[in-house]
Amino acid sequence: MSSRVCRTCGGSDIDVDQARGSAVCTGCGSVLEDNIIVSEVQFVEGSGGVSSAVGQFVSADGPVKAPLLGSGFHTGVGKESRAQTLQNGKRQIQQLGSQLQLNQHCLDTAFNFFKLVVSKHLTRGRRTEHVIAACLYLVCRTEGTPHMLLDLSDLLQVNVYILGKTFLLLARELCINAPAIDPCLYIPRFAHMLEFGDKNHEVSMTALRLVQRMKRDWMHTGRRPSGLCGAALLVAARMHKFRRSVKDVIGVVKVCQTTLRKRLTEFEDTPTSQLTIDEFMRVDLEQECDPPSFTAGQHKVKMQQLEQELARKLDEVEGEISCYKEEIETELEKSRPKLRGIYAAYAKEMDPEDEDVLSSPSDPEDKEGDDADLQAAAQRLTQDFLCQVIQEEGGRAPQEVETEGAGLPAQGASLASILGNASLGLQESFHTFNLPEPDQNPDEDPSPSGELDLEGIDDQEIDKYILNEKEVEVKTELWTKQNADYLKEQKEKEERITKEKEQGTYKEKKKKYKKREQIEAATAGEAIEKMLERKKISSKINYDVLRDLNQPAGSPASEPPGGAAAAPRKRLSRRRRKAGDANAELSAGATMMTKRFRRLISSTPRKKKAAPQVETAVVTETASEAVPEAPPAAVPGPAPAEAPPPVETEEEEEAAEEDCVSALRLVGDYGCEEEEVF
Amino acid sequence: MTGSEEEAKLGARRLARCLQKLGFKVRFSAFRVVNVLAVCSMPFAVHLVDFTKNNRPIASYEPELHPAATYRIKNLKATVQVFSTGSLTVTGPNVQSVASAVEHIYPLLYECQKPRCK
Repeated sequence: MSSRVCRTCGGSDIDVDQARGSAVCTGCGSVLEDNIIVSEVQFVEGSGGVSSAVGQFVSADGPVKAPLLGSGFHTGVGKESRAQTLQNGKRQIQQLGSQLQLNQHCLDTAFNFFKLVVSKHLTRGRRTEHVIAACLYLVCRTEGTPHMLLDLSDLLQVNVYILGKTFLLLARELCINAPAIDPCLYIPRFAHMLEFGDKNHEVSMTALRLVQRMKRDWMHTGRRPSGLCGAALLVAARMHKFRRSVKDVIGVVKVCQTTLRKRLTEFEDTPTSQLTIDEFMRVDLEQECDPPSFTAGQHKVKMQQLEQELARKLDEVEGEISCYKEEIETELEKSRPKLRGIYAAYAKEMDPEDEDVLSSPSDPEDKEGDDADLQAAAQRLTQDFLCQVIQEEGGRAPQEVETEGAGLPAQGASLASILGNASLGLQESFHTFNLPEPDQNPDEDPSPSGELDLEGIDDQEIDKYILNEKEVEVKTELWTKQNADYLKEQKEKEERITKEKEQGTYKEKKKKYKKREQIEAATAGEAIEKMLERKKISSKINYDVLRDLNQPAGSPASEPPGGAAAAPRKRLSRRRRKAGDANAELSAGATMMTKRFRRLISSTPRKKKAAPQVETAVVTETASEAVPEAPPAAVPGPAPAEAPPPVETEEEEEAAEEDCVSALRLVGDYGCEEEEVF
Repeated sequence: MTGSEEEAKLGARRLARCLQKLGFKVRFSAFRVVNVLAVCSMPFAVHLVDFTKNNRPIASYEPELHPAATYRIKNLKATVQVFSTGSLTVTGPNVQSVASAVEHIYPLLYECQKPRCK
């Protein structure tokens, strides 16, 4: 109700009486409005004294089933589609949501999401059920209900990753930040499914504590929450003396056995697992652990480092190996001939340890035989000792190793520097190799013609990759054996096709649609004619008889065409577009016939002036009589001046032209004049 | 590190040479590196939930689907997948973008790191 001012006195105090439907100014008393539309509920007395309210129920979704469907059809077309989509979506949401036992509020929210999605055109190209599922899951996440994406995919029998993709996309587009899943949410649900009876609550609480502990121990990042819950529940159940096997738990939680076992093992590795049940319930350890995969990775790296450092440390360790080596060396010194200059320098100046170090990492060039033997022997012995030491080391607790490791880096550094000097040459060469590369323009195409640039390719190496004859044979055999099924299928298909081709029943599977030529026509009639020509000709026409009309057959020939023409005539009348247009009708009639006829028609000279003569003459059915009467010149009259030059095979004798034409005229004329008769 | 792109081209050429030797007619033109995948590892573990919370909506983490948090850098057109162990996989259109992506994301990861306790 708008506060208006009174027209007479200007007062703004207006009294609106809803019941009477009038607006009166309280200042001057003038009636401003009468018969205001009121929104009162009215009651009507029905038969038997029953009073009912007047009105009809309207859907909350808007005027979907508009009562003015008949008259308002055109305006309603666009909106109807959208409304229908929404309605369909709402129905599906209700259906799916009820299966998940979601309350109405969630379903409404999901529907709102769906409306947003539709308005953003994100439903295009996606299955509605995927979109619905994603909307529902979005609601589940925002509300924090214990529903997993797995549940939805179970219901829909759709791959969970596909649903996940849709869900992620929708969440991104709608800018909805769904809070991360907390495994604690799932505990009550799974506990309920595992049927702990009275102690349900207690078991749940224990399991919750376990999960929280797991979270602190960094077991939950990057893992499916259901796996953690499963492990926690299993342990909690055992703690409260319930017998739940791994199988029961995985049936409820939907992870596989391996996952569950792994979680349990990981939990076992944490210090919390060492506590007793009571201690666990009371005490919470301060210390937090690293994520298990991180620990595993670190462990591996550590082992590798350790191995390397031990190998270097080996030289420092007084052991059998040094003694052996020295012994061998002295022996060889005595027996071997004088070394070449450079090696002599090496043997004397450098320490035996450095020599070892140099020999093992850097590629030993072709040394002299004795030298090689010496190195090989030394290496083998080194490795043996290494293995022994590592085994011993591996057995010790990690802490000890670490303290040793601390001492190792210092020695490692010195050795590394020596190593660095030796391998510097190698690095330099590598650098020089690298440098010219960036100088080149990486985008430059050396040969725009597509020629393969052979620069930098080692042909010999390439040749090594290519298999020789024997290898090719072996590989072919292997491949054929592996793909035997597929090859068999292909062969059968080939045979089938050839057989069908022989029989003539072969159907080309791939329908290649040739591009249709554009129809060029001067008038509408001609266009119609051409169109009908190209379209499939009717099966109701007896083509043999039509063809026989070319022969100079008498009246018997005319009857069948008359009969045959009756059908096209009827159709002609049905197909008529302009009732009064004789030419058009005739042309239409002409096109009903085979192409041959039209060719005959068009081949004759066209003159329109004889048209009325022809029409009067053609009243009689007998073609033979009509034939001699009608001059050939007048023949083309009824036929349209712009008869198309049809393209087809050679015609029969031109002499029979007149007969055919007259028959056609008959047909055409009957089309226009005899219409009333039929 | 543009050397790697050159190496890729070299490798492709070698393959083409192989085919050529086998007798096929070979044309080598318009070689283009379309995607580069790199891995690297942080010396610390990363708390994915915090990381995702701090970097909404660029980062997304869905443990039910994939163990890593995905971080898409729009202007570089690169994607970084962060695992809780601190390892990253970076994909991008060229080596430069991958390198810049790592530099870009390092401070963000550093904030949400999980201190090593052992």
